[in-house]
Amino acid sequence: MTNIAEKLNISEKLIATLELEKNSLAGTAHIQAIRKTALGSFTEQGLPHRKNEEYKYSPVSALFKSELCPAKQNACAKLTKSTIAELRIPGLDSHLITVVNGFVSEDLSDYNPNAKSVLVYNTRNTAKHAPALFEKHFGQYASNDADAFIALNTAAFQDVLFIQIADNVQVDKPVVILNVTTTETASLASPRNLIHVGQNASVQIIELYVSIDQNASAINNSVSEIVIETGAKALFYKIQDDCPGLNLITTTQASQKANSHFDTHTVTLSGSWIRNNLNILLEGEHCESHLNGLFILNDSQHVDNHTLVDHAKPHCESNQLYKGLLDDKSSGVFNGKIFVRRDAQKTNAYQSSKNMLLSDDAAINAKPQLEIYADDVKCSHGSSTGQIDEEALFYLKSRGIGSESAKALLMLAFTQDVVNTIRIDALRKHAETLIEKRLSK
Amino acid sequence: MAKENEILEEITGSEYKYGFSSDIETETAPKGLNEDIVRFISKKKNEPDWMLESRLKAYRYWLTLEEPRHWAHIEYPAIDFQDIIYYAAPKKIKELTSLDEVDPELLRTFEKLGISLEEQKRLSGVQSNIAVDAVIDSVSVKTTFKETLAEKGIIFCSFSEAVQEHPELIKKFMGSVVPYTDNYYAALNAAVFSDGSFCYIPKGVRCPMELSTYFRINTLGTGQFERTLLVADEGSYVSYLEGCTAPMRDENQLHAAVVEIIAHKNAEVKYSTVQNWYPGNKEGKGGIYNFVTKRGICLGDNSKISWTQVETGSAITWKYPSVILKGNHSIGEFYSVAVTNNRQQADTGTKMTHLGKNTRSTIVSKGISAGFSNNSYRGLVRIAKGASNARNHSQCDSLLMGDKCGAHTFPYIEIKDKSAIVEHEATTSKISEDQVFYCKQRGIDAEKAVALIVNGYCKEVLNQLPMEFAVEAQKLLAVSLEGSVG
Repeated sequence: MTNIAEKLNISEKLIATLELEKNSLAGTAHIQAIRKTALGSFTEQGLPHRKNEEYKYSPVSALFKSELCPAKQNACAKLTKSTIAELRIPGLDSHLITVVNGFVSEDLSDYNPNAKSVLVYNTRNTAKHAPALFEKHFGQYASNDADAFIALNTAAFQDVLFIQIADNVQVDKPVVILNVTTTETASLASPRNLIHVGQNASVQIIELYVSIDQNASAINNSVSEIVIETGAKALFYKIQDDCPGLNLITTTQASQKANSHFDTHTVTLSGSWIRNNLNILLEGEHCESHLNGLFILNDSQHVDNHTLVDHAKPHCESNQLYKGLLDDKSSGVFNGKIFVRRDAQKTNAYQSSKNMLLSDDAAINAKPQLEIYADDVKCSHGSSTGQIDEEALFYLKSRGIGSESAKALLMLAFTQDVVNTIRIDALRKHAETLIEKRLSK
Repeated sequence: MAKENEILEEITGSEYKYGFSSDIETETAPKGLNEDIVRFISKKKNEPDWMLESRLKAYRYWLTLEEPRHWAHIEYPAIDFQDIIYYAAPKKIKELTSLDEVDPELLRTFEKLGISLEEQKRLSGVQSNIAVDAVIDSVSVKTTFKETLAEKGIIFCSFSEAVQEHPELIKKFMGSVVPYTDNYYAALNAAVFSDGSFCYIPKGVRCPMELSTYFRINTLGTGQFERTLLVADEGSYVSYLEGCTAPMRDENQLHAAVVEIIAHKNAEVKYSTVQNWYPGNKEGKGGIYNFVTKRGICLGDNSKISWTQVETGSAITWKYPSVILKGNHSIGEFYSVAVTNNRQQADTGTKMTHLGKNTRSTIVSKGISAGFSNNSYRGLVRIAKGASNARNHSQCDSLLMGDKCGAHTFPYIEIKDKSAIVEHEATTSKISEDQVFYCKQRGIDAEKAVALIVNGYCKEVLNQLPMEFAVEAQKLLAVSLEGSVG
């Protein structure tokens, strides 16, 4: 009984301190309705408790110990154009959209707002009318009832970043979403994105997570809905670096139409407690999805990568590769599910999770799952956990490479097959540099 | 249907050949469960006070629990625990000295099942044979070869007999691997278990024959709650077989057993199960709910426990034979074939808990689903902190026959030691058309080809079974999949 009372307490407190009731009365009628439904769903669910199978290895109660206020729009005076410039990926020409604590910041962004092919719209900007596609798609993919954090985000978001790529447009340069959390006080930020990639269009999106003025009790709970229309192609990179002390919950809900291509990378190098939900629905035939992930952890970092690939239509292919290096007292989770529905014949689905434990206090929990209802399919998964190969280490040492650098070299090699699939050269180089720096620590 | 298909031909007549019910006079307890029933069972068995106390403790704990319904990948209506008969026993079984005194109807029952107790007796001179403990409804009716085994110091008897004659062993080991607090059905079993088998292999003894328990649910409306306790002392070896059948009935019957295995230093226990409870009819009506807790502990160094199971029956199978690898250098193995057809559901797998150093475990699971069935592998490999150099390899394959069934894999891997090497692999596919074509080209018809391919697919597991069981298991596979081709 005490458990239920506690659950009510935390969630109720959250609803009060975040002023969710008040928030549900803001915005257009369309948004109000969506927020209200979400609030109802969150009130009913509460935060995930210990018995929740999806949060078995990542209890959340500790994150909500202190009282959280809603993250403020311009909470940090330090945030100027020059600080933002430093955070950009070196050598990468890109459209930059800066989101501070869940608010789209026009001032700190750097993109061409007049380009017809790429439309950026934020819901606070009432001067502009919401594009028709926004109302059609917003809130249609990430289901409140599937995860309490989706409901919480939908009830609490202040602003929606809507990126619309028109049909047949190949976006000239990558779009970078710089997701900044300023954490002077214990707060909860709720960034929200909707990305619509039109028919036969293609786009590369890089999402960077950065925190400034760290405070361990800050939480960033983001939700991105991505719609990839027929024949479209989207590359989506999530880089979680430079956000020490941040608690991060991200949900990416992608929906793929026929003949579309979706390629994601989730690279986690920093952060205190991170949960990445990546759900892909293949609702057209002949789709292809690639899910890659890499996490390198130390101290008492915790990272939980959840994936769900839902094969609803025949002739699709999905491929997952997640790798983790865990040191010190860190802990990691890989929970992947391949779901093949009755009609999804001729599905090819593959999933692999490989981990290396570098310390006796590190722990890894893996749960690679297959749930299959169609017979003419080829589905498999593999999961392995081990340590640095002594013989490989000996080989390198016998050639005069010091023990430490030999180890770093082997770990670097371990990360290579994930990093090599990053298709943007500047980003790949940037990731390599970050990883090298991280491993030589 | 192929005429030449001997294996299938044999059983085409009846869907479930063990579906008869025998007209044996039985004594039953009234329906329902309360403290009086627990006391009634205990009194019937003439149990000492400590046993009754332990039952009541378990019963009171059970009352505080909630029926687990949601985590497994199975669906069934809530069970009415007050609508079950918790005790049913064939009458007149006391003080049997020879087989002549056994109810002839009972003997016929076992003969129909293919286990002739009489024949067993006659063949007792022959070396390689099987000692059988036959359990019908709730009570162990006859244990064969007791005397031969006693010469070696091996104790093999019914659980109730052991309570009377070896209370010190029961007190020491019962509940040490599966305590009554373990789970809902373990608590229920600890409260109402009626009988089962007990086996103790003394130090350094290699059991000269296969030991076997044969379970049979007969009476309508009964639940079967048996308990098996197997203790292998230092340096001993035993191979243990378990088989089960039940009559065809329209209602669902509950089977909630507990099996505990304790392997001391250098001991080896091999436990094989061919589970063939009544699976219900084609529409999913009737059948046994098989909710079983099986666990072994490798207590001493260099000990080994190996589970082999062929699961073809039951409307719902829900069991996870597990091994706790406590001793250093201990070994745990799990080989499983689970077949589901029609409306059957299975959620089965294993748990390997590595605690000692240099422990090893192997998991091989083959799932086959046909018809409208759902077949899930659910397993846990846990490497505790300090369990250095642990090694695990898991291989879980699923075969789908038809597009209305489901095959699922839910492995849990928890690793807290950096020197562990853990590998898990799983695949899901259907029978290759090329292979079927190859067989057909050589004059083997589709159904037989499938039986052949399935047998090949399961070979890795079937090879682990003792000879007598392997043959039965192969036939069962063919029967279970009958009608699922084409």
